[in-house]
Amino acid sequence: MRGTTRTVAVAVMSAAALLAAGCGSGSGSGSTTAGKDGGEITIHGCTPENPFVPANTNETCGGNVLDAVLAKLVHYNPDTAAPENDIADAIETKDNQTFTIKLKKGYKFQDGTEVKAHNFVDAWNWNRDGKNGTLNSYFFDPIEGSADMDCGPGADKKPDCTAHPAKASKLSGLKVVDDYTFTIKTTEKVSNLPVRLGYTAFAPLPDSFFADGGKSFGTKPIGAGPYTFEKYDQGSQIALVKNKDYSGKFPGHADKLTFKIYTDTEAAYKDVQAGQLDLLDSIPTSALAGDKYKTDLPDRNLNKPVGVFQSIAFPKATADPTYQNKDLRHALSMAIDRDTIIKQVLNNTKKPATGWVSPVVDGYKAGACGDYCKYDKAKAKEAFTKAGGYNGTITLSYNANGDHKAWTEAVCNSIKDALGVTCVATPIAEFSDFRKQINSGTMKGMFRTGWQMDYPSIENFLAPLYGTGAGSNDSGYSNPDFDKKLTEAAAATDPATANKDYQDAEALLAADMPVIPMWYSTATVGWSDKVTNVKVTPFGTFDLSAVSLK
Amino acid sequence: MTDNVRTVVETTEKEPADKDVPRSLFSDAWRELKHRPMFWISLGMILFFVVMAAVPSLFTRGDPTEAILKLGSTPPSSSQWFGRDLQGYDIYTRTIYGARASILVGVFATLLTSAIGVVIGVIAAFYGGILDTIMMRITDIFFAIPFLLGGILFMSSFPNTKDSTYFAVVGKVVLVLSILGWPSIARLMRGSVLQVKPNDYVQAARALGASPWRVIRSHILPNAWAPVIVVSMINLGAFISAEASLSFLGIGLTYPAISWGVAISDALTYIRTAPWMLLFPSLFLSLAVLAFIMLGDVIRDAFDPKTR
Repeated sequence: MRGTTRTVAVAVMSAAALLAAGCGSGSGSGSTTAGKDGGEITIHGCTPENPFVPANTNETCGGNVLDAVLAKLVHYNPDTAAPENDIADAIETKDNQTFTIKLKKGYKFQDGTEVKAHNFVDAWNWNRDGKNGTLNSYFFDPIEGSADMDCGPGADKKPDCTAHPAKASKLSGLKVVDDYTFTIKTTEKVSNLPVRLGYTAFAPLPDSFFADGGKSFGTKPIGAGPYTFEKYDQGSQIALVKNKDYSGKFPGHADKLTFKIYTDTEAAYKDVQAGQLDLLDSIPTSALAGDKYKTDLPDRNLNKPVGVFQSIAFPKATADPTYQNKDLRHALSMAIDRDTIIKQVLNNTKKPATGWVSPVVDGYKAGACGDYCKYDKAKAKEAFTKAGGYNGTITLSYNANGDHKAWTEAVCNSIKDALGVTCVATPIAEFSDFRKQINSGTMKGMFRTGWQMDYPSIENFLAPLYGTGAGSNDSGYSNPDFDKKLTEAAAATDPATANKDYQDAEALLAADMPVIPMWYSTATVGWSDKVTNVKVTPFGTFDLSAVSLK
Repeated sequence: MTDNVRTVVETTEKEPADKDVPRSLFSDAWRELKHRPMFWISLGMILFFVVMAAVPSLFTRGDPTEAILKLGSTPPSSSQWFGRDLQGYDIYTRTIYGARASILVGVFATLLTSAIGVVIGVIAAFYGGILDTIMMRITDIFFAIPFLLGGILFMSSFPNTKDSTYFAVVGKVVLVLSILGWPSIARLMRGSVLQVKPNDYVQAARALGASPWRVIRSHILPNAWAPVIVVSMINLGAFISAEASLSFLGIGLTYPAISWGVAISDALTYIRTAPWMLLFPSLFLSLAVLAFIMLGDVIRDAFDPKTR
């Protein structure tokens, strides 16, 4: 399931050429000189949910570690999120459907074997194979033959691989041409396939991975990245050392990276203040309040937009048809004072949304939502009256295990104030329950949704969320014109044309308002006085190839 | 118990006007209490909180649900005595309205625990034998459940829904506190009744053929329930703080109830930047608990001077 508390970890390496030349852009770090090589850097870590298998890692705790260990075909520029070739020498296509991928020679896994084309194809086949049931298998859905890889449904309607095995165990769309070339054929046209290939799940896997189905790999992952996995002390730390044989363009400065595992961010924050921890990727709320962290960590903090979009979704028509009224949707959107809520409740850690696409991706165009996303009590009331008001109590559900109580209550108070209707923020204890109600279409009333990009593309903020029948289309939105624009964009061979088509599609959303855009997230990070040149990627993770000791 | 009465009589012999008037345990206690300033102070505070709970509008004209977000987290000033919280609610108004939930929970949990405890304790002690054994083992079982853990288990097993009314939300907390709180009262009552039962006047009443109900009502209860009243009064304060603990954990009182515990929980994160958000609800909670515990203390002294 693609959820909202789920966080996707993606590449953290950076343009090493720039840094080696000592002119890293060092945005906000207060220092523009690249520091010395060597030494140990400690990073705030958390307990990984699953063993370190790329296809089963969809949260940052394990993902951040894997990204330092693995190399992928492309890696994302830490400043612009644009894909840059890493293992790939070239990714070519003429029709957006058949892609030829040529690999650079000389990339070596940390076990000494060379990275060849079959390491990719075998890895992707394994990742998508129904009987492996991986969490990230949906990333491979665009590839031809992926539907044949699913196991049939058993008695309980869940995939049952013993009774109904999958038709195929290999993706028919993947073909090894020679040691350094392979081809990908997709079911539909996909204009942004290269952008997707930097995600953890697309990493090549060494032959040793398949010997035991990833069991030993899960405890000690092997990749072709700049750092080698040394050891994982359960509950205390994960240690990585520099990969001596690394031949790529994005090496790190430190000899050793240690992810120290904390259960409490407050403790990690105190350690950063005391110089016991170097990098902290999330400042606790108590320090965000009143911008305390800026005085606690002077010149050692940074706030940067990341690819997360937060919204309020409407119930499906079958659960509550009242919300299908577009005037009501517009009224609710205009009744929310985003700026004040961000300032007072969210400690300026968000940026008000002006559309449905995050500003960090290529193709972003501000203002798609227009006046409908601007707070205007009079207009909101007018639209509300036009819609015929709302009978009863408006509810806004949220999952209580996330940090959503304060802002949902503030949103309800804002709606109450502007429209004179009662609005209650209602907690649902567990995230899984919350999603279950949404997916089964039984959720009545509005509910919060959020989207963390899988890969930095404008398409990722539109197609999976508002396409008819798309996987994360929580409001059950359907608009044939919108779908048509998406298809056109996917077929466009020129990125500029594709972006234009996606922007047109986004513009269509303003009239229908499938979800109310709320805000874009930012990452607020801090670091100790021992490190320099700290950069944050559009995914909210540290750029581990840039940071070094002073 | 009879001994105690005699002691009280001796200590109050200075007032000859009352010398020949037969006095009950309660009138003795009253004579003692009315000279204690602590009694009047705590009673005054309790009265203050009860009035606050009953008619909050006497104290504030504000609307506790009115949130002015633009003024969120602003410090106390002449127009907003206690400042505003994160959502822009007036903390003074919220704190006044928060008294109702705490007082309701405290009073009703105390009444319910006392009722259950007294009935169980009296029956067990009066009839004795196998009935006593069974009832006391049941009491032991409930007594063995850790108070806060039991509360957390119960409240998270039966969470409030968005349609829960104010009284359902409060009632559930009362219920869980009562289920877990009655065994101590039952034990106390049993012990007290066992002490009174062998007395001559009880035996006499039985010999004259009084029904068990009459014996309990007229002879045992009036002489046995002083300790229960004392402990219940102290428990009342404990129930208020238990409610706040559950609410602090997010499983006690929820919307639509306004509660000090919830306010304290919400304010904790902002202790460095907006301490007034934490200070005022905490202060009121402490005062309310203190008032009931102080009252319990002076009443105990009055009923049982030996422990002084």
